[in-house]
Order: sequence, then C-alpha cells, then structure tokens
Amino acid sequence: MSSKPAFKVLGKDTPRQDGVAKVTGREIFASDMAFPNMLYGRILKSPYAHAKVKSMDVSKAEAMGAVTLTPGEIPDIKYCPRLVSVPSSTYKDWKVLAEKGHYVGEPIGAVAAESEEEAQRALESIEVDYEVLGASFDAFDSMKLGADLIHEQIYLEDDLIDVKNNIGCQLEITEGDPASLEAADYVIERTYRTNRRYHNQLETKSVLVRPEPDGGVSIWSTTQTIHNTRLLIHDIYGIPMGKIRVYKVALGGSFGSSIHVNPPVTVAVGLALKSRRPVKLCYTREEDIRDHCAYQIIFKLKLGAFKDGTLAGGQMEAYLDIGAHQIQAYPLLGCVVGWWVSLYRLPYKEYVGKAVYTNKVPCCAFRGYGNPQTTWVVETMMDELAGMIGVDPLDFRLKNFIGEGELFWGQGPTVKSIIRSCGVEEILTKGAEMVDWYNRLKPEEQTGRYRKGWGVGRGFHTSSAGAPVPSSIIDFGGAMLKMNEDGTFDYVSALMDHGCGTQDAHAKIIAEELCVPVDKVNIIRADTGTTVYDVCTHASRGVYSGGGAALKVAGKVKEQIREFAGRILDAYPHAVRIRYDEARGQAVVYAEGIEGREVTYRDVAETARQKNWGTAASVESYRQPSCPPHFTGYFVDVEVDTWTGKVKLLRVVAGADIGTVINPKLAAGQVHGGFAQGWGMTVLEDTPYDPESGDLMNGGSVANYKVPTTCDLLDLEDLTVFFADTYEPTGPFGAKGLGEGALNPVAGAIANAIQSALGVRFFQLPITPIRILEALKEKEG
Amino acid sequence: MEIEITVNGRKRRFDVEPNKLLLNLVRDELYLTGTKYGCGIGECGACTVLLDGEAVLSCMVLAVDADGKCVETIEGVADGDKLDPIQEAYIEEGAIQCGFCTPGFIMTTKALLKENPDPSEAEIREYLKGNYCRCTGYVNIIKAVQSAAKKLRS
Repeated sequence: MSSKPAFKVLGKDTPRQDGVAKVTGREIFASDMAFPNMLYGRILKSPYAHAKVKSMDVSKAEAMGAVTLTPGEIPDIKYCPRLVSVPSSTYKDWKVLAEKGHYVGEPIGAVAAESEEEAQRALESIEVDYEVLGASFDAFDSMKLGADLIHEQIYLEDDLIDVKNNIGCQLEITEGDPASLEAADYVIERTYRTNRRYHNQLETKSVLVRPEPDGGVSIWSTTQTIHNTRLLIHDIYGIPMGKIRVYKVALGGSFGSSIHVNPPVTVAVGLALKSRRPVKLCYTREEDIRDHCAYQIIFKLKLGAFKDGTLAGGQMEAYLDIGAHQIQAYPLLGCVVGWWVSLYRLPYKEYVGKAVYTNKVPCCAFRGYGNPQTTWVVETMMDELAGMIGVDPLDFRLKNFIGEGELFWGQGPTVKSIIRSCGVEEILTKGAEMVDWYNRLKPEEQTGRYRKGWGVGRGFHTSSAGAPVPSSIIDFGGAMLKMNEDGTFDYVSALMDHGCGTQDAHAKIIAEELCVPVDKVNIIRADTGTTVYDVCTHASRGVYSGGGAALKVAGKVKEQIREFAGRILDAYPHAVRIRYDEARGQAVVYAEGIEGREVTYRDVAETARQKNWGTAASVESYRQPSCPPHFTGYFVDVEVDTWTGKVKLLRVVAGADIGTVINPKLAAGQVHGGFAQGWGMTVLEDTPYDPESGDLMNGGSVANYKVPTTCDLLDLEDLTVFFADTYEPTGPFGAKGLGEGALNPVAGAIANAIQSALGVRFFQLPITPIRILEALKEKEG
Repeated sequence: MEIEITVNGRKRRFDVEPNKLLLNLVRDELYLTGTKYGCGIGECGACTVLLDGEAVLSCMVLAVDADGKCVETIEGVADGDKLDPIQEAYIEEGAIQCGFCTPGFIMTTKALLKENPDPSEAEIREYLKGNYCRCTGYVNIIKAVQSAAKKLRS
C-alpha cells in the first residue's frame, strides 16, 4: 500500500483537449495538409531484394513536366534515421536514395508532379538498369560464409568499418558466477522464433515540406520527434537549424514506427529544395507495409533452477533479423539483455546478441522495443521450468521476480537504476484471486474437441531511459509554461502525443500543481523553433519524463505567482496558500487567517501586467534521474477448438502498476490496446517472404495481414483491468509509464494458456490454427 | 462527367473523371479531410461515409455512383458546435486515441444506431467489424456505442 496524497485533478476522468477536433473530423494529420502551388511526390522503389542500380534514365519523366530526384543530386552522406542514442552507439548505413536496393521497396529515386496521378505516370516512365545480386531472407543464411554482403562498409559514428558475415553489430555481456548455472538441478535449453509484425498504424507515413524564402524548409510529418527530424535534415542537407521548422501535427498511430525519421520525409525535403515548391508525399498502404516492421528475433535460451525454486542463471543468444538497414539495432541488443535480466533474479547471466542483415524490410521499434519478444520467450520458459521443478508457475514467478530495492537494467547495460515502487506482488496475488488461479483445470484433465486453458504472464517496461548517470541513450525533454492575463495557462512542449493522451496528462499534472481545473491549462501545439529539445516520445517516457518537465515548469511558475501575490497582498511569498474558488472560476492566493488578504490568479496576472512586473513564465529542460519500471500481469483463459485450431478468448484479467493513475479511462485504454496488439502478435500477425520474388508473401496487401477486429476479442464483461496501489517517488506526483508494459507480457500469457489447454508448447510465433493442428497431430495422431 | 451530390446537406456540382473515387472527391476537392485514407482497398473502414444514410467505404465507391445522392461525412455530424450524442459518447468513454479511425467509427456507429437503436454488444461488434482500430482494443469504442445508443433512446 502506498500513502498517496489526495489529488484534486489526477485520478479523475477528464475529456481530452483534442477530443472535439477528433470526433468532428477537424483534427489535421500530416496526410490531411495541403498548400497552394503544391506538388505531389512519389518514390521509385527497388523492385528487387538486392540489386545495384547501374543506370537510371529520368528524361521521359522530365519531358512529362515532373521534377525528378536521383541519388547523385543528394549530399553523399550515410546516416542513421533514429537519433535517440549517442553517436558512439550509432551505426549508419542509410542514404536518402540508395544506389543499391537492399530490399523490395527501398527508395532509389523520386518525382514530384502537379497531381498524384501525374507523379505516378512520371515514376513509371523512369528506366532503370539493375544488376541483380544474391539475396538472403534468413539471418542464419546471411551469416554463412560466402553469402553476398548486403552492406560492405558502414559507419560507426564517423569511422568506416567493414561488415563481416552480414553482422551489423553485436554485443556480449557476462555477469556473475558461472558455477551457479553449472550447479543447477534443472536446466532447459530451447530455440524460439518470433514473427515479423507490421505496425499497421492507421495513418501511412506522410509528409508535407514547404521550402521557405530564406532557403530553409518547414515540415509537417508523421513523427514521434520533431527535434530529431530537424537534426537529421540538418545533417543531410546542411540547412542551418534555425531555418528548419518542424511542426507538431496529429499522428495517426505509430507504435514506434516514427521514432526514426521516415523515408518520405528525407525524400520530400530533397524534392522541395529542388522544385522550390511545397511537396506532399504520402505512402500508399502497400508502400507502408514495405517500409517498416517489428524486429524478428531468434532466441536460444538456457535457464537453470535449483530444487528450492530459485533460478541458478541463464544463457541467451539473440539473433536479430534486422532486415536491410539498421535503425539503431545496437541499442536494441542492449535492451534485449536488459529486458531478460530484469525480469527475474539470475545469479549468472551470459548474453550474446547479433544484429544480422537480411534483404527484407528494415525493422524498427514496435511498442516494447524487443520486450514483447523477450518476455514471451522468458515467460514461456518460466512455465516450463516450473513444471519441471514441480512448483506452481505463479509461485515460481513470485519467488524470483526483481522488485523494490533491486537493481533494474532498464534500457540495457548502460541504463541502470534502483526500483523504488513495485506492484508485482499485488498484481499477481490479486489477479490470481480474481481468476481462482489455484483451482484451475490442468491440461491432463482436458479431452474432447474444445479444451480450456489458463495462462499467466508478467512483465514490465521502463518509463523513459533516465538514469542517475549519462548513458548511451539520450533522455531529456523540456517544457514552457506561462500564465495568461485571465488566470489560465499556456503549456508548450515539443513532446509528441501519439494519441495516448500524454499531453493531457501533462496538463493535469500542471493543473494539480497550480490548484486549477485542467481546462485552465491549454495545450499549445508548437514547433522546433518555439520549443526546447525533447528527445522523442518513446520508451514509455511521455508521462514520466515529459510529465516531469511539466511539473518542473509548473513549480517555477507557481513560485512567481507567489512572489507577485506576495507583493500585492503584502504577505511573504513562501507563506501564502492557494485554493481553487469554484464560484469565481479562479484560483485564489491568500494569506491564511487574515481577512481580505486574497487575490485571484487573474488579478495577479493583470496586476503584474499593469505594474510591468512581467509574465509568470518558465522554460526548462529536464532529465529524470531514473527509469522506473511499470509492471503488468495478465491472466488469460482460452478455449482451443482442436478440430479447427482456433483459439478463443474466454476471460482476461489484467493488472498494471503505473504508480499514480492520472486519467483512469485512458490508462485502461492503454491496457485494452496493448492486449489487442498482443493477441495479434500471438495468434495472427506475420509478414513472411517469398524467396523467389524477394517480396512479401502478402504482396503488400493488408487484406492478407490480419489484425484483431471487434469480433476477435473479448466481451466487455470478460475483461477486467485493475491498477496496483503504488506511488513512484521519482515520478511526477508518483506517476510512471504504461504504453509498452501494457503489451509486453501478453504473448507469454496467451501462449501459456494455449499450452495449458493442449499440453503442447509452441516455440514459434504466431501460434496459428495450422501450427496448432500440426502440433496436435504430432502429439495425438 | 457532370454529377450532383448533396454533401452534408448542401447541393454540390462536380465534373469528374469516371474513375474518380468518392474518397478522393471528398478529400481533395471538398477538403473534407475528416474522411481518411487508410488502405484504399476496403479493409480498414477509415474512409466510411454515409451514402443516403447507409455506411459505405468511400474508397470503394466511384464519385459518379453518388450522383443524385446524399453524402454525409464526419464534418456533417455535429449541429454547428453542438456535438451529436455519438460524438459526445466517444469523448466521454475515452474511445479516442490517435483519432485517425475515429471518423470512420462514428459514421458506422451512426448507421448502426439508425438501423438498430438498441443493439446488443454482439450486434455492435458485428456491425463495426469492418473498422480497424490499432490503439484502443475496441473496448472503449464498444462502451461509447452503448452509451450513445442510450443517449439517443432517451
């Protein structure tokens, strides 16, 4: 139990400020924008998985009136489109337009024309002569001696390095005493393979670029980070930063797919600079599905345990099939080991991670950044190991989880902090009680066509990548707050809201601090020129890090209000108190117990204006000292039809420890959405390749990429979400993150439920009906 | 081809190519960008509009096929600044996250509640199954539809 302060604004459901715009169709996304005299851009893509462009003839396109862009017209710079890590951890193998297609869909040229149709016709008139090279669609094939190198040389920071065996980067870490694992009474060793999921965010990657008279550009794009977009465009095109304005615009879903600057952005800037006209470039869905996907990982995991139910140690090999480019695969190698060793106490851990190039769509973060994959593997093996030892899988978890007071690896070996708040025990024991866990059916009791199974999975994610010392990951943000002359406040931040209500959470934090209702805090949508740097909305840092910055400026503004009010009231600034007066619709600053000594915010601001004291305002940067894990746990009941292999959800109980809950319905919405994505990950989603064509088997059609619909999930009464009673001491008013933890343990819980129904364990995702039927055939004939 | 369509209550005349999609007419010529492109092949429902009161996927309808008919887009749902009860319910229930699918969902909900003012949860799920949402897991959307149905009945 925590001892939380009583909040006035936090913990209550409040409508989001962008709600009216979003329900009336008035919210503007990048793909909705248009300017007079605008051209439409289209990108020429490599039709081969691996082919050199020997020559490109754009004369017909130009004769049609199109503006064309070829690789030679763009500064010859290799870069990494994701700028979240420090340069010494950043491998660079991208070009705006590649001279060699490394995957089907890689941008190699571009056009802009008066209409999308004319641009497409011009694109189709471009003649390209290719030299087709050998391609690899499997990480282990890529690493074989003699396999064609997908990249021969890449940069690490500014050093050119040779690529060997198509391994883009690797990381090895060993810690503890190997004798512990050697002494284990039980050992399991398995190989697991995850799927290659497509984010399928509703808005395809889109951008509008307007060249400005001063030689700069203004950019409206699908992005999770306006400042890193500006940094990259500066790095590539050399435009002074102040002349690059990147504007915040609503983002139609992302889930990690716009932490990096999306290729249409870098291409459209080139087209706009050349044509001197605004250029809009929106991907079709068929292009978007060939643009990004989740990291596919092949794990080899060995875990050992003692008879007393404690873990002895483990070894993990993680092979990341990263596709054709690195979108900072190196930090992911660190995160994968971080996710693994931060779940359960391991006296010995040995890790080798390799990021391997294949001629496939480049992988990027997808909600959890390798954590859902890692947690599926660990939670699957924890169940198997518990069975071997003969302990209940829930008790096994309770005995070994890493919790309060222990070291947390956060986002990998360079991001370490101590856990200060932990709701794991509450989540697991309360959830177990709600589902009557200890009286559940056992697999051996199941016969007949329909079989029921119960599974548990638990996990966490970091809230930000903060830490007491600098690490290889950049994590700070900033905010600006000012009091208006009517006693309301304007809040300005570069932090992007993906739709989670993150900025609304900030407004509530500010409102709580300043003792006003949340509708007195206006969220102002700004741009790179009017905000201080924020690294990116990723790593579930929106509420924790962004909220930390919001609280900091709110505290500073409050100090100034006290100072101004103190002068007006002839009272000591540190002694005045603040309350909200419903009748006046104003916060009131007063000297307690002294009649008549009170003044409203409106009068404070207006007096400060008339007496030329200035505006109560603050702009600050802020770095969080920690990256507290938010914890989640899922209990899942399923029914498997052994004739069709279909898995049906019967009941789900989800518990989450997110510290102080700021907006209950929106927080529950994160859990609902995380569960739905986890369901898709476990039973539905994958993008396999056709080695003959080198292209996706689904041909780029989302008709052949099924995601959960309203009919695939649970009835309302069968889904329960609860929040643990915790308070994170380093968080703004005790709050932590949630977005990624909401997904991370889902696949493990569902997979364990399927195992419990069938007595069969699966080592490959997704667990499709066909795989279930094949496994049952093997088991039962 | 010359066509006449009543868009959100106002008669509009257009000269369109026979292959022009209703989606592109609405977005590019009327600047009603609340109707979204999500897939262009009738999979995701983000482009849903009402055609003579029936929910249709505007990426699957030719503009010429709307000739003489009434098209209602998300921009026509509210009465000035007064939100429709469906819109209110979507806000109140936290049924909106990124908001890109929201217009399509609201249009489908409007068609559903006109046909069936008191739908069961199963009927709601069946009716909305052609609208994808990648953020919400649909839970708060279903709640919003239930709440809107209740508001409209009273």
